[in-house]
Amino acid sequence: MIKNRKHKSDLVILFATLGLMALGLIVIYAIGPRRADVLNNTYGTDYDSNYFFFGQLRAVVLSVLAFFAAFKWIPYKYVKKYAKVLLIISLALCIALWVLAELGSGLAKCELGECRWFQLGPVSFQPAEFLKLAMVIYLADFLARKKEEGNIGKLREFWLPLSIVCGLALFLVVIAEGDLGTGVALISIIFGMLLVSGIPARQYLILSALVLAVAVGAVATSSHRMERVDAWLATMSGSESSDSTYHIENAILAIGTGGFFGVGIGNSVQATGYLPESINDSIFAILGETFGFVGLFLVIVVFAVILLRMLKVAGGTAAFDEHLYIVGVFSWMFAQVVVNIMAMTGLVPVTGITLPLLSYGGTSMIFLAYALGLVLQLSCYTSREVITNEDISSRGRLGGSHHSSRRRSS
Amino acid sequence: MPRNSIPKPETNVVSKKSRLTILKFFVLVTLAIITLRLFFIQIIEHDYWIAKADKEHTLLETITARRGEIYMMDHKEPVAAVLNQTSYQIVIDPTVTKKEDIQHVIDTYAKDYAVANLEEVYNTEGLRYSIVAKNVPRNVIEEIAKEEPSAIWFKKTNQRVYPEGSLGSSLLGFINADGVGQYGVERSLDEVLSGKDGLLKTTADINNVALSIGNDNVKIPAEDGKDLVLSVDRGLERGAEEIAAKHIEKTPATNAAVLIMDPNTSEVLAMSSIPNYDPNHYSEVEDASAYLNQVTEVPYEPASVCKSFAFSAAINEGVMTADTTYFNQGYEVVDGWEIKNAEQRSSLYGTINMRTALYWSLNTGSIYALKLLGGNPAAINQTGREKLYDYYYNKFRLGRATGIELNEAEGFIPDPNDGWGRDSVYANMTFGQNLGITMIQTATAYSAIINGGTYHTPTILKGELKNDEIIPLEKSSDKVSEKILSDDTSASMREMFINNRSYKKQNKIDRNGYQIGGKSGTAQVIKNGAYDDTMSETIGTYIGFIGTEGELPKYVIMVKMWGEGHYIDGQIASYLFDDLSNYVIDYLKIKPKV
Repeated sequence: MIKNRKHKSDLVILFATLGLMALGLIVIYAIGPRRADVLNNTYGTDYDSNYFFFGQLRAVVLSVLAFFAAFKWIPYKYVKKYAKVLLIISLALCIALWVLAELGSGLAKCELGECRWFQLGPVSFQPAEFLKLAMVIYLADFLARKKEEGNIGKLREFWLPLSIVCGLALFLVVIAEGDLGTGVALISIIFGMLLVSGIPARQYLILSALVLAVAVGAVATSSHRMERVDAWLATMSGSESSDSTYHIENAILAIGTGGFFGVGIGNSVQATGYLPESINDSIFAILGETFGFVGLFLVIVVFAVILLRMLKVAGGTAAFDEHLYIVGVFSWMFAQVVVNIMAMTGLVPVTGITLPLLSYGGTSMIFLAYALGLVLQLSCYTSREVITNEDISSRGRLGGSHHSSRRRSS
Repeated sequence: MPRNSIPKPETNVVSKKSRLTILKFFVLVTLAIITLRLFFIQIIEHDYWIAKADKEHTLLETITARRGEIYMMDHKEPVAAVLNQTSYQIVIDPTVTKKEDIQHVIDTYAKDYAVANLEEVYNTEGLRYSIVAKNVPRNVIEEIAKEEPSAIWFKKTNQRVYPEGSLGSSLLGFINADGVGQYGVERSLDEVLSGKDGLLKTTADINNVALSIGNDNVKIPAEDGKDLVLSVDRGLERGAEEIAAKHIEKTPATNAAVLIMDPNTSEVLAMSSIPNYDPNHYSEVEDASAYLNQVTEVPYEPASVCKSFAFSAAINEGVMTADTTYFNQGYEVVDGWEIKNAEQRSSLYGTINMRTALYWSLNTGSIYALKLLGGNPAAINQTGREKLYDYYYNKFRLGRATGIELNEAEGFIPDPNDGWGRDSVYANMTFGQNLGITMIQTATAYSAIINGGTYHTPTILKGELKNDEIIPLEKSSDKVSEKILSDDTSASMREMFINNRSYKKQNKIDRNGYQIGGKSGTAQVIKNGAYDDTMSETIGTYIGFIGTEGELPKYVIMVKMWGEGHYIDGQIASYLFDDLSNYVIDYLKIKPKV
């Protein structure tokens, strides 16, 4: 039995995560009042100028709590034990939201015709974010189990249950809630985890082709999605502006005006109403305007560092389900970072996805923070060459901490 | 499965590592693509996006200069005749503003100012801006604002107000819907009144609210228009208009024009064209000719009034005196045309002096003056014509814009040598026909005749009102003060003008202790290109001066009356002058000689 000694967690991930949250908070402090102005002037709402800052501050505080709860207080093995329960609860919540929305209940909060939030008094909650986390935890457990059973790649034991779970999740998110962004993140999670699950390469490629075909079909048959693709193509080819190209154009305009060093904090003009979703999905463009190429490059480096460190941690995990879990979180974050930034720079069509840890929003940040906290917890138990060597001479206690206990009855 | 079983973990680790490498590679490639894309947008295309952003973010706004107000005098104090009043427009965006909200606001507060049909506004597709009420006063807007209505905007506008209504309308003019001065002082001094608009160039948010962001914000402040003070006295103007209006009622005349000026400075004290219109409602005027300033913009033939010019020219040249005699046979033949006197009483036939000729306004008398100017009492010659032209055009500045601060017509004086029938044309000119001159030209020249012989460019502008003080504006170099007649000529002319009114004095129309002189004129109207000898329609003119006996005249009054198809002679005009002269004496408290 391999027992990896508990060692220091991955401080790079820790500080990079907290750093990004802080940056998001600063930017929203700067542009939140503009956003409030725009909404108040356009829709006659009555947002206080610091409304968005305090909203984000609350989200960051809760996220940091979730992060440390996952990191320090709730061992992965307990979480893993409830993988199925968590998945069922999250799916049930998504179904409940769908039903409530269909019934027109006030508990379902809808924006622009898409109902993605529960609204309980002042608190709103997006079950799809919970679903992403639950899916990562469940799939890590499921895939590791199948691997152990030697059932990977088998139709009835493996593909059937997998298809049902993934299909249901995707249906609820993409079709019922119309949330293409979360759908993309889910698909990325599934594919990322399957890639390292050990399924045969041929099956993986066939599945990829199949999903691609379905995705193209889904886009082509939805006028709403087609419009976005058209808008993207129009922006790329520099044709006439229209309402649909407005978002991408203004995102690129914001980034372009940033130049090398940016216009400086508090000087963003695009945030004064020109750029839609300036504090949520479009925050990368505002960062580009504010901090320029240098700032965006640093942000990308920080994201790259987190992502690559996660892969490194994943590479050193002792247990396969832990490995899978980390790859799942990696895929989740990677999808959101890449799809969001590529949309803002006109490389892919706009899907409506937040930029992790930076965008305004509670639920998405809290669940991702929890997921990252868990990664950090697992990073304390990786086997590293240096440590492996040290193991021999080390006088430390073996299995001293209950966290490090890796007993498994099979 | 136990983790330390051999060799499975080995293969496991290998496959794990290789698949992770794929992911690592994937991360690096996508992020590299993004970085390249960012480099392209932010570094290479930077200038393009900056230019585009400038275009989208820059708000260019004109800072409207405040239009200067116009004052008249009330004796020694300036009083407002034209004011600015701030009012508001209520503006909505039908795509955002709730219909019931604006309906409520209009119904409750602004019913009287509503200008739009809300049904229509809300049925117009794509409409994002609609003015639903205009000229709403500030207090009403304040009431509405208390309700804090959403998506309803108030736009400040400036309204020109003429508090005296129609008083001096043709003198003041009005401003049109675009804020541009039309007619009167509003037009002639438009540039001074309107000032210079400023410019605001600033970065603005999507609702066009200026932001404090950006370094190249430009603000050129507006230079407000000057508040101007006219030399016109409000009381005198009102009195003159009221008296003229009464005379129109009493006589067949439909129109009258009055000019009162100080002959010693050529400052205009009253100037009006009756009937007036209300500049607050200028669009209700049916005939645009009502806008015209009859005193400066309409040249005409003041007829026998011009004998004053011919006589003073001959006297000033030393070739004639008031006692010079000539033989009057009631008519004169020039260039084959018979020119008759209007007055044909037999007692005037024979040898009479020039004083008598002027008293009875005999055309033969003024023709004789022209002959004397040429040095040949028997006939009109070139020298005479040229001398008369020199006096009319160069000295009296007739047929030329005077330089008063108003729109002027120039009129014309025929050339002394160029053209057919010069002698008859010039004979006619001595009694004010065959030329076109304005009232202001006539009255200013007349002022020179009676003030001791000095021509002053007429003016209607006292200056700029600044901190309750009247500061004269920079004098234009065109302003002249030129001695054109000798003191003796002037005195001799005054004596004859006073003599002209001897019967008015006997009839106690002219009061004792004052010296009042004048000259009338009755002009035939040109119909179908020729003088209408039936005299079925004539324009009556009278010009005269008033002052304390034994002193130089203080005021010159000129009146003109007419009515289409009516015979209005100088006699009818003289009655208006009589009333005006007595009003001026009373209003300005001119002291009689004790």
